Amino acid sequence: MLAPEKQPRTAGLVSLHVLVICLALVCHALPAAAVRQMPDQLGRPIAVPDRPERVVALAPSITEIVFALGQGDRIVGVTQFADFPQKVISLPKVGTYIHLDLERIVALKPDLCIATKDGNPKAVTDRLEAMGIPVYAVDPASLATVLETIARIGDLLNVPARAAALTSRLAQRIRQVDARVAKTADRPGVFFQIGISPIVSVGSGTFIHELIERAGGKNLAAGPTPYPRFSREQVLALAPDVIIITSMARDAVFEKVKAQWQRWPNLPAVRNDRIHLQESNLFDRPTPRLVDGLELLFRLIHPELSGGNP
Amino acid sequence: MISESPHLASRIAITSVLLTLVLAGAVFLGLASGPTAISFKTVIHALSGVNGDSMLHDIIRRIRLPRVIMAALVGGTLSLGGLVFQAILRNPLAEPYILGISGGSAIGAIIGILMGLAPFPGIGLFAFVGSMLTLGLILLISYGENVVKKDSLLLAGVMVNAFCTAVIMFLISMTHDSRLHNILFWLMGDLSLAGIDQAGLLAAMLLPCFIALFCLSNRMNLLMLGSELAQTLGVNIKAVTIALLVITSFMVSATVSQCGLLGFVGLVMPHLLRLILGPDHRVLVPACILGGAAYMVICDVLARVLPDQGEMPVGVITAMIGAPLFIYLLQRSKR
Repeated sequence: MLAPEKQPRTAGLVSLHVLVICLALVCHALPAAAVRQMPDQLGRPIAVPDRPERVVALAPSITEIVFALGQGDRIVGVTQFADFPQKVISLPKVGTYIHLDLERIVALKPDLCIATKDGNPKAVTDRLEAMGIPVYAVDPASLATVLETIARIGDLLNVPARAAALTSRLAQRIRQVDARVAKTADRPGVFFQIGISPIVSVGSGTFIHELIERAGGKNLAAGPTPYPRFSREQVLALAPDVIIITSMARDAVFEKVKAQWQRWPNLPAVRNDRIHLQESNLFDRPTPRLVDGLELLFRLIHPELSGGNP
Repeated sequence: MISESPHLASRIAITSVLLTLVLAGAVFLGLASGPTAISFKTVIHALSGVNGDSMLHDIIRRIRLPRVIMAALVGGTLSLGGLVFQAILRNPLAEPYILGISGGSAIGAIIGILMGLAPFPGIGLFAFVGSMLTLGLILLISYGENVVKKDSLLLAGVMVNAFCTAVIMFLISMTHDSRLHNILFWLMGDLSLAGIDQAGLLAAMLLPCFIALFCLSNRMNLLMLGSELAQTLGVNIKAVTIALLVITSFMVSATVSQCGLLGFVGLVMPHLLRLILGPDHRVLVPACILGGAAYMVICDVLARVLPDQGEMPVGVITAMIGAPLFIYLLQRSKR
């Protein structure tokens, strides 16, 4: 039974029709899995099943989006650091999104893999496609394209209405932040520290940069290097008003890092006690939670405007 | 040792057959191990083309088989590389890594990766150029001395290797993006993505080298006797040494560009086999190819089976097995 079911993955539309006819003739009761052609976010035409039921999400962000669309039960495999929502932790793991385990993916018999251009090695996705597993690639690069990605995954999983509802809610929240930021011309300098030793921040062209600027701050590390390194001296010279530290390591490390900055009482961020630790997943994963990250940044950068709001 | 022994042909045949059996066992184990539980019976069915679960057959034929072939090729090459360098330098510590040949290939390959080139021919070519440049540098440093004089060449190699390590560290420290993770994994030796095209390509490059080195194996025996004696026996030492170095560098750079740095393989198998089989290179060359291949396939199995989540780079395994075994062998040979 497995062989005929696998066929549509490899075959083009023509052979698919032949197969459907054969199947209909041979065993009329068997529901034929239909395939449609869809361009993915890289513009490649992908033959995807009409209703994918065994999806492997090749990045934590993709897992989050599929769950946000309420389609989590169609996911059969996730990557190692997928941790949101809670229930994905028990799903089978297929390696990290950078170092995917080809065999584990194939063994899950997926009818669709959703990949991300930024991170998933092309060598692996090429191999998956060569083995007849459709790989739909997304490439979110900004808040706007994240919304587009959500809509595309909604189409892919046959839930366009849910996707439209979700994206319009998110767009509404983004507009709210925009409106509040527009009330002030004040743009506090933000140093967003994603690496502790060495000190690493984020340049233009990253989600975090977009979020900082959109939340009414000025990214002090803006520039062409995506993840620039800084010496302590350079950071002091930038005189950040706000320092935001995201780290995989938890509170103990944060206290140490905070104490290191507090040795410089003339730093505006220290003087005004504006050094914050935040969970990195809200800022660097292209998911609906990016909007949570935007609202959070707005509250940290403009506490005076967010007033009593949570 | 160098006189034609009537038993030579049969000795080569017997060791080759025995080691081929060992290799076959290792390959079978390699095909049967992995994150998905697959029975030996399924492996036999997949190999013999019997119909069955197509997913399991796909995993065996299209994921595990290329990987096992790749491991075997790389293991054979690196063991042979070690054997050749030990013969040229008459030094048990010699190995492609010690001489900086691997380091040079790695620099070339990393530059290729950073330039976003394709694994073949781009990165492979850069790796070969890197290894030839380091080889040239080593020969230049020890120029004027007798090339076979082991200490000067080895010392030049150690220096060049240290320099290569520094350059690799420099390149890594300058890399910011996600390629860094790939480079680090690759540097530790990674076979997980081997495809059948890649394995075939590597085989096409390596097999002629294996044959060439087998043809030169008697010259290696003569080199082991020392330069003066070898010269009086009619060996063009310089030509033979350079031929051996170039062939070996080519093989090593080909494997490095495909699979990264796998350490200590070139030390362990040649020593082990020399202890068992004696010093005749005509026996040792085929034995090292087969034995090294089996060794690497087993190491790769361990890399897949030991961690319960994901897998570790096979270079970690080869180093962890190889280094202590090598120290033990060295202690024993001193006694």
